[in-house]
Amino acid sequence: MNVITAKHLTKKYNTGKAVDNLTFAIEGKKITGLIGRNGAGKTTLLKLIAGFHKQTSGELKVFSENPFNNLKVSSNTIFVDEHMTYPESLSIAEILQFAGTFYENWDEDLAKRLFDYFGFSKKQYHSRLSKGMRSTFNMIIGLAARCPLTILDEPTSGMDSSVRKDFYRALLKDYIEFPRAIILSSHLVNEVEDILEDIMLMKEGEIRLHKSISDIKEFAIGLQGNRETINQFTRHTEVLHESSIGNSAYVVIEKNINQSVLQNMKKAGIEVSSVATEDLCVYLTSKTKGGIDDVYNRG
Amino acid sequence: MILNTENNKPIYVQIAEWLETEILSESFKPDEKIYSQYQLAEIFNINPATAAKGLNILADEKILYKKRGLGMFVTTDAKEMIMTKRKNETLKQMVEDLVSEATRLSVAEEELISMITTVIREGEGQS
Repeated sequence: MNVITAKHLTKKYNTGKAVDNLTFAIEGKKITGLIGRNGAGKTTLLKLIAGFHKQTSGELKVFSENPFNNLKVSSNTIFVDEHMTYPESLSIAEILQFAGTFYENWDEDLAKRLFDYFGFSKKQYHSRLSKGMRSTFNMIIGLAARCPLTILDEPTSGMDSSVRKDFYRALLKDYIEFPRAIILSSHLVNEVEDILEDIMLMKEGEIRLHKSISDIKEFAIGLQGNRETINQFTRHTEVLHESSIGNSAYVVIEKNINQSVLQNMKKAGIEVSSVATEDLCVYLTSKTKGGIDDVYNRG
Repeated sequence: MILNTENNKPIYVQIAEWLETEILSESFKPDEKIYSQYQLAEIFNINPATAAKGLNILADEKILYKKRGLGMFVTTDAKEMIMTKRKNETLKQMVEDLVSEATRLSVAEEELISMITTVIREGEGQS
């Protein structure tokens, strides 16, 4: 069953299209990573899904309904980001208590155990917490709510690295115990890739790639060797990335090439390697083939 | 430029290889139940779907078999099959890499073989 379906979904702001003609489906109880550079449209898309914003055009269905102003969607969804606000007059312990009354599946025991583990004290106030502690607190709410659709927008911002590790492990354990649709946005691919099932890669408001994590590993290959030799093979292929030092070059292309061509490449002395997911995401969302080097290569 | 292409194997392949090594060391004997996808997910901190893919590779190769509702079990010939496969694929590839590096360094055949012999003797001395 599809949890989310979008057809030609578009959201325009005065400054342009933040989400541009997206058609996709997120099915079943998967952890999907929404990956993209700053300003790619990740947050806008997530806010459309959560029903916080109304689309400019196109169709969006969450649990088969239009999410904007929708009670069914909002009672089954939690949206966690660093801008979550709570009543100023309540202590964080009181916030947890009240949060429990909003969510059907709320796990009070889990919330309390996480609260103690991360060293919160009952009388603290959310607005006085450090940035990392605020994120940690928001994450406790996000996990304990156990919503059928859990949206986490850059949930680890400000957390130190040991808390981030704890967070990802807690998320995974909780998912195993209570499988649900989780969308996790991040620009730190290598940190999240192990716990993801699917990756959705956004670039300039569009979806550049939406695949399972294992298919992404098979999506591209890196060729390393003499530049001239590589060029002979890649003349008619789309190059995703290239960099060179002197006569030798590193070129990344899609893997859908003939097995015999691949053999010929190896015979010609080209080293063929797989491409790390993080690097591939950088290449696919880069504006130029050479990245920052192109800015400095004026000659 | 990427210099280190090692450990760039997909995680599900690494899971399959780890399970193979466990079977080789007889941590799991024939007809014994192996870890479930959820146990593997917990052990390695990975998505259960990725763990399932690792298990399924071994099921396709008949190193594991499924019992509906009970999980995956080690087949009778599992250990032998893994040894044959590793010899023909992994070890062969390593030897090829070894030889091509030796060629690059102009290490002659006799010298390479004596290097290998030395390592074998050292290993024997330790054990």
